[in-house]
Amino acid sequence: MYTSRMKELIRKVEETRPVRLGVDFPRMTPEERQDVLEKFHPDFIEAGFRQLQAGVNKGDRVSRELADLLEARSMIGHVELDLQEIVHDVDVLVVGGGGAGAAAALTAKKQGADTLLVTKLRFGDANTMMAQGGIQAADKANDSPAIHYLDVMGGGHFTNLPQLVYTLVKDAPMIIKWLEDMGTMFDKEEDGTMITIHGGGTSRKRMHAARDYTGAEIMRTLRDETRNQGINVLEFCPAVELLLDEEGKAAGAVLYNLETEQYLIARAKTIILTTGGSGRLHFQGFPTTNHYGATADGLVMGYRAGAKLAFMDTIQYHPTGAAYPPQILGLLVTEKVRGLGATPLNINGEQFIYHLETRDVESAAIIRECSERKLGITTPTGMVGVWLDCPLIDLIHGEGTIERQLPAMLRQFARFGVDIRKEPMLIYPTLHYQNGGLLLDEWGRTNIENLYVAGENSGGVHGRNRLMGNSLLDILVFGCRAGLHAAQKCEEVKLSKLTLDHVHRYHQQLQESGIDTAGRVSPLLLPRYSHREALEI
Amino acid sequence: MTQVPLVDIYIMGKKYTVPESLTIMDAMEFAGYHLKRGCGCRAGFCGACATVYRIAGDYELKVGLACQTKVEAGMYLAQIPFFPALKGIYNIDELTPGTSSIAAYYPEIYRCIGCNSCTKVCPQDLNVMQYIAYAQRGDIARCAVESFDCIMCGLCASRCPAHIVQYHVGILARRLYGKYLLPRALHLQQRVDEITDGKYEAELQLLMELDPQELKNRYNNRDLEA
Amino acid sequence: MRFSYYPGCTLKTTAAVLENSALKAARALGIELLEQEEWQCCGAVFPLTVDEIAPFLSSVRSLAAAKDTGEKLVTLCAACHHVLKRANHVMKTDKDVCNKANNYLQLPDQYRGGTEVIHYLELLRDELGFSALAQKVKKPLTGQKIAAFYGCLLLRPPAVMQFDNAENPSIMEDFLRTLGATAVDYPYRTECCGVYLSVQNEEIVAGMVEKIINSALRHGAEAIVDACPLCHYNLLELQQKTTHGKLTLPVYYFTELLEEALGLEDRAEEKMAI
Repeated sequence: MYTSRMKELIRKVEETRPVRLGVDFPRMTPEERQDVLEKFHPDFIEAGFRQLQAGVNKGDRVSRELADLLEARSMIGHVELDLQEIVHDVDVLVVGGGGAGAAAALTAKKQGADTLLVTKLRFGDANTMMAQGGIQAADKANDSPAIHYLDVMGGGHFTNLPQLVYTLVKDAPMIIKWLEDMGTMFDKEEDGTMITIHGGGTSRKRMHAARDYTGAEIMRTLRDETRNQGINVLEFCPAVELLLDEEGKAAGAVLYNLETEQYLIARAKTIILTTGGSGRLHFQGFPTTNHYGATADGLVMGYRAGAKLAFMDTIQYHPTGAAYPPQILGLLVTEKVRGLGATPLNINGEQFIYHLETRDVESAAIIRECSERKLGITTPTGMVGVWLDCPLIDLIHGEGTIERQLPAMLRQFARFGVDIRKEPMLIYPTLHYQNGGLLLDEWGRTNIENLYVAGENSGGVHGRNRLMGNSLLDILVFGCRAGLHAAQKCEEVKLSKLTLDHVHRYHQQLQESGIDTAGRVSPLLLPRYSHREALEI
Repeated sequence: MTQVPLVDIYIMGKKYTVPESLTIMDAMEFAGYHLKRGCGCRAGFCGACATVYRIAGDYELKVGLACQTKVEAGMYLAQIPFFPALKGIYNIDELTPGTSSIAAYYPEIYRCIGCNSCTKVCPQDLNVMQYIAYAQRGDIARCAVESFDCIMCGLCASRCPAHIVQYHVGILARRLYGKYLLPRALHLQQRVDEITDGKYEAELQLLMELDPQELKNRYNNRDLEA
Repeated sequence: MRFSYYPGCTLKTTAAVLENSALKAARALGIELLEQEEWQCCGAVFPLTVDEIAPFLSSVRSLAAAKDTGEKLVTLCAACHHVLKRANHVMKTDKDVCNKANNYLQLPDQYRGGTEVIHYLELLRDELGFSALAQKVKKPLTGQKIAAFYGCLLLRPPAVMQFDNAENPSIMEDFLRTLGATAVDYPYRTECCGVYLSVQNEEIVAGMVEKIINSALRHGAEAIVDACPLCHYNLLELQQKTTHGKLTLPVYYFTELLEEALGLEDRAEEKMAI
């Protein structure tokens, strides 16, 4: 429920509403866009970044919060471990229980590989579960993989690695077919035709969905199938460090039972990292739409082992995260709200940006309004945001539109006393997606032999910007490919002694670079929110 | 900054004083918990944080997702982060979409006594008893559709006197429905065949090798479906 | 004519023929049967323990829902009819159970047995009327000698079911004659088919079925009709088991004959010679 002070401010929104209704705010010129991006988009805020001083990407610019984790000591630095005491000895070890991990494990198992999946929380606790919008694939008559290719490259500002994009768009229909064969409940016409819609930056309607639970429907189907296939899954048991063999090839991982706090050695012929993104690092203090476990663990482990990172200086911010009520801070307000005509307004009830600029520009303009121009609205907990005038939707499209088209949003806000049919939302950009990650090739291989990656912890597919609906696709295309290749590769892998020498070497590098790790250890595993709210009150 | 009113809550019987504006999850963290279990997406999608609570003085047990429910004064709460449910192990390719498939893996659905405890406890407000009734009579389609919003938190199974694992019945029905009862997308099969036959190979190779400026031109001049 | 309609699970699966033919005939007779929006399995067996209310709950829910529409509740499956009718009787007569069920269900309005439960046969006889039905018959079953099999669920206990004279019922024979057929009288028509033993002790059931079939045959029957999916299963399946696959007497649901007599569907030839 809004406070009385906020309700007073809403009156200004109501006063200007009749004047604004039906009037389109001018779009920015390309120069204006560039200007607002460079001055206000978090990717351009130099204070938010620093250069890595150790490891394969030495000299590269990455977010400070990530640099802090990369330039930290291993959490097993001081632990006595007997690496010969192997508890799990398998062909393929999949680290991470989201969509990419499940796809990798299923594919590896199908090849006959003895497969173990370990995950930090529950199997399925991942950003995959939260993806609402859909999954892209060029499977309609007016579409083609080539058209999809062009959209992906343009969306990524032509920085994407072409071979990866080629792979993504070519495999896409096969992935949808695979899901359909497993019984995923896609939205379909009566004759079986997929119901597909546009997403930002698509030139064809190729967004496949399962209501607004697309990711959840895919994840629970994959999870059910993984269990049917008898794949061994260890929950609450993350990998905390990779193990290499004496030739520097990946050969296993140190696992950590979160509950008993015991370390376990897992040996594997090939390892696939599918640990997801990093929204819970709250880059530059931003709230996030991400899952509780999105803490960049795979990046940290892979980097220590010598795997290269790519595009780690670019993060996707979603312009409309909830800024109030505090209970849903950072929660995604779907782009559809603006698509239906809701506009962003400042404290005076004035629009300051066209409501359908690209995500990065829209975000930067909102940040400018709140910072430089000081025209944001401050909440009782000290959060600043701008209004998103959603009651406009029913005025434009007729009463009942919000109820019909945005039932989930309506319910989310109603739970905490805000009626979005009558009151505006308060929003602020929120951390949404890690565009980069560990560099991969078309089979998910990294530069470390026998180490594979897939999904949000990989980098290269989306270049500097990802389009909606291509992440659910990415995790499955490259999850399956990594699983396939990793399983086949097992046949030629010869087992040798496990070592943690790379960790010691990395520690040495840190020391030689003169980095003060200030007692930091990584991976982070879980964000710490204890007493967080105490500071905000 | 304004002062937020505080309330007393009882986490597994222990009293903590927390701001009344918090969700149960935030309140637990405020109280000092570093959550491992009982916390997932924090947005109401994953079912990790099923919570049972009772307000002091009231006999009724209520439920909610910790990330989606605000604390109340006198709230006694405990989480159910895991439920030891039996899941049928099946080969979806060998099943038929009817009563027999569900009966084979979950015969206990016929023990339903219609007490409706499952429906009352569902944090997603699903009509759980009814979708089990649909499963009993082989109405796979309606069972699938009615159970679609299930987040598999396990609360229904925890309250069922007949030991039914409703959420596993639901996903089996949904997979049977998606695989066998929803008509197949013919355009999808066709596109897969075309790709297998190499139909788009030349065009894609051309795009990959294209001069960057020419690629940009093509992108900027591509036609958009209305 | 409009009624609430409770189908039951079996009618949605193995006894779909019974439901399909009954609904088709009802449409042709101008009778509107509205399937209840939500209903759950009746339990198939009437619970004899009155200190446990749980087994009554799904029946009471359906009964209460019918009361809210103000319509009579029509059943078709003999087992469901038996359970619903008896559960309703308990709600009417046993204050203790009634209070407990109401407390548990917390229905918007208390339910105290106000709904009238009628079987499809009673619907034809008492609501439509056999004489009105006779006028709608397009293809009378003239010359066909049919034996009716009642079983026990529709008739007993007579004080509660009040279906017909439990020792000497005539509703099914009257029905057959309305369709133009010749009703065969035989002594085993109100026997129990042995249904609840068919899983545990098939031998006993097979013996009972054999007696029923032979008795009907001896009295000249050319076919036998029933109103119960459980009887139907036994009469059909166990008859074939005892005769090593040969069906000496074809078995139909009464609604199949109704459908035929109304000119809606020809009885399939292959059914005669399963």
